[in-house]
Amino acid sequence: MASSSTVSGDVRRGARTPSAAPRVRRRLPAGPWLFAAPGLLITGVFILYPFVSTVVNSFTDRRTLIPGTFVGLANYRELLHDDMFWIGLRNSTLYVVGVVPALVLLPLLLALLVQKNIPGITFFRSAFYTPVVASIVVVGLIWVWLLDERGLVNSLLETVGVGRAGFLSDQWLLLLSAMAVTVWKGLGYYMIIYLAALANVPRELHEAASVDGAGAVRRFLTVTVPAVRSTMVLVGALSSVAAFKVFSEVYLMAGPDGGPAGEDTTLVMLVQRTGTGLTGRVGYASALSVVVFVVTVALMLLVLRADRKEDA
Amino acid sequence: MRISRRVLAAAAAVAVVLPLSACGSGNDGGGSTDASGKVEGDITFQTWNLRANFKEYFEGVIADFEKKYPDTHVKWVDQPAEGYADKISADAAGGTLPDVVNVSPDLVAPLAKAGLALDLDKSAAQYRKEYLDGAWAGHQVPGMTGTYAFPWYLNTGPLFYNKSLFEKAGLDASKPPTTYDDLFADALRLAQKTDGKVATLANVPTVEDFGRYGVELMNKEGTSFAFNDAKGIELLTKYKELYDAKALDPQALTATPESSGKKFLTGAVAMNPGSALDLGNFKKQAPSLYRNIGITDQITSTGKVNMYVMGVMVNSRTKHTPASVAFAHFVTDAQNQMSFAKKVAIFPSTAGSLDDPYFTKEDGSDETRVRIAAAKSLKNAVNYTPVLFSEQMKTALRNEVAKALQGKESPKTALDNAVKACDRLLQQQG
Repeated sequence: MASSSTVSGDVRRGARTPSAAPRVRRRLPAGPWLFAAPGLLITGVFILYPFVSTVVNSFTDRRTLIPGTFVGLANYRELLHDDMFWIGLRNSTLYVVGVVPALVLLPLLLALLVQKNIPGITFFRSAFYTPVVASIVVVGLIWVWLLDERGLVNSLLETVGVGRAGFLSDQWLLLLSAMAVTVWKGLGYYMIIYLAALANVPRELHEAASVDGAGAVRRFLTVTVPAVRSTMVLVGALSSVAAFKVFSEVYLMAGPDGGPAGEDTTLVMLVQRTGTGLTGRVGYASALSVVVFVVTVALMLLVLRADRKEDA
Repeated sequence: MRISRRVLAAAAAVAVVLPLSACGSGNDGGGSTDASGKVEGDITFQTWNLRANFKEYFEGVIADFEKKYPDTHVKWVDQPAEGYADKISADAAGGTLPDVVNVSPDLVAPLAKAGLALDLDKSAAQYRKEYLDGAWAGHQVPGMTGTYAFPWYLNTGPLFYNKSLFEKAGLDASKPPTTYDDLFADALRLAQKTDGKVATLANVPTVEDFGRYGVELMNKEGTSFAFNDAKGIELLTKYKELYDAKALDPQALTATPESSGKKFLTGAVAMNPGSALDLGNFKKQAPSLYRNIGITDQITSTGKVNMYVMGVMVNSRTKHTPASVAFAHFVTDAQNQMSFAKKVAIFPSTAGSLDDPYFTKEDGSDETRVRIAAAKSLKNAVNYTPVLFSEQMKTALRNEVAKALQGKESPKTALDNAVKACDRLLQQQG
């Protein structure tokens, strides 16, 4: 035990074992591995294996019922020339740009609203949280009814003289509508995260700022925002990954084709459409999935890097 | 017990390399194609969203079969309509496809190509004469020899129209359109009279519409699509006129058959294709529409209406080929198809069944009128959807049609692009 701790201590300090030193065959005790085995097995079978399998498949022309052969980078080359890939990438990116700022800011404002312990506030907290627990299919259907050409929203717009809008038939309105649903459904979830963060902001800081004459807006900007900044980064990272991988909202509102002429297709919808069914192109869909993975990892790194720069 | 790093590394390597094995060739062997042995064994039968309404019927059929063949046991599983193809593809890829499966021709084609559907011309040729020729041919795959499913029930349907909407537009509700020209003229008039508030149709043209309009869908060899001919362009150009005039519902570009059916139910569109099954729905869900419902024949320029064909496929990997073939035949034989047809508005594919008085004798009700008209039209109906037309191809066509209707592409360019995309997908299917 003593020697192993010395070795790890040396490694921590950057020391190297002299090459002349006798090689010691290190063995790992089995006990911890046995305890970790169930978790490792589940991770291996349900996360690692599908991931590696997807990467491997992306280099083949595998189809649902036909194993396929190795085709090198052909799938990646093909997607560079696939219009639908670029449409999907555009829409997924627009989704991040449209949804993330709203999901970072609005839940924070909502959390500030419901933070105070006043009578009846629990009702509002629950009400704001309700969309989070509602099934996305139910939410999607309700919004489709509301935004239909003859739905409630269009009837109201017509009553006030604005006229009917093609929320479910116009390419851009459809995407915006789906974004609005995503924001509406996500508000409560991120509000809860912010409520936890706000509970840790020392009250004295607000009191001191008030004494110095700071108004509500200034207190928000100089006390609240810096105090919950790391939570905002977390919300930004989580929501940007979720937004880039959006599927259900757009699928339910735009239909399986991804809106008129497929113009509202997102990358994950494209993966689903390409890779499933009896004639699914599993190899090509895998290449698309790998791209989605790389972009989401890049997004996470970008957000975390921005956070680190702020800290520096 | 200690585990060396080498063992761990080896395990990790196996985990990484294991997926590569999936890229190997071929499928492991399978069951026999010989169906002449003793009918025995446990088999599984999968239907497509039929348990909810026909549980009793299927339990009866299974009980009769097990009585006839005491050494057999049939396990019945039913899958929901939504995602049925995905469920089959998951089972087929995972080697868990049931022994006897309810399929449509477009599902049979990839399964047959993957060697998972039993060729009935080899294993069950003696039953061929029991079915209508066209129905038997319904599960043949271009480029392959053989027939890969027993024909089961057929369906077709009339065109329903809302008489009160027709009257409001000054159209004679007793004279619905009978040709495409009439249809387009009436639709434009209806849109004009209602200031674009009532559309006549709620769906963009599908491959069946092109077929019914007289467009050649594929070349004779079945190796390439051909719906970008002059007739195809003409149809799409007319639909563009309808779309511009709001005679085609603005949400048609994203519509599904279900959503357009709902539009018809709520009176937002004046016409919708359907089947005798829909009459019951109208009666229950929209009584005021039901009172105003008009029924007319499918509009076709070829003289042949579109029909949908259902089949029952035998998994070529079944361990009990004689029992599976016997059961698939039993479910689809004349007696069982006839009794199924009397429970639901479908039509048997067995020879002579459509001559039964049930399909020929009027009793004055709407249901009977629709049934008799449909049965009559089925005698020379065509399944216009090409067997090789996959879901991905349907999407490609819909997307290009949408571009043409929006004016982003000319009808010719849109159809040329659709044919190009479908041909590419066809080649990729192998």
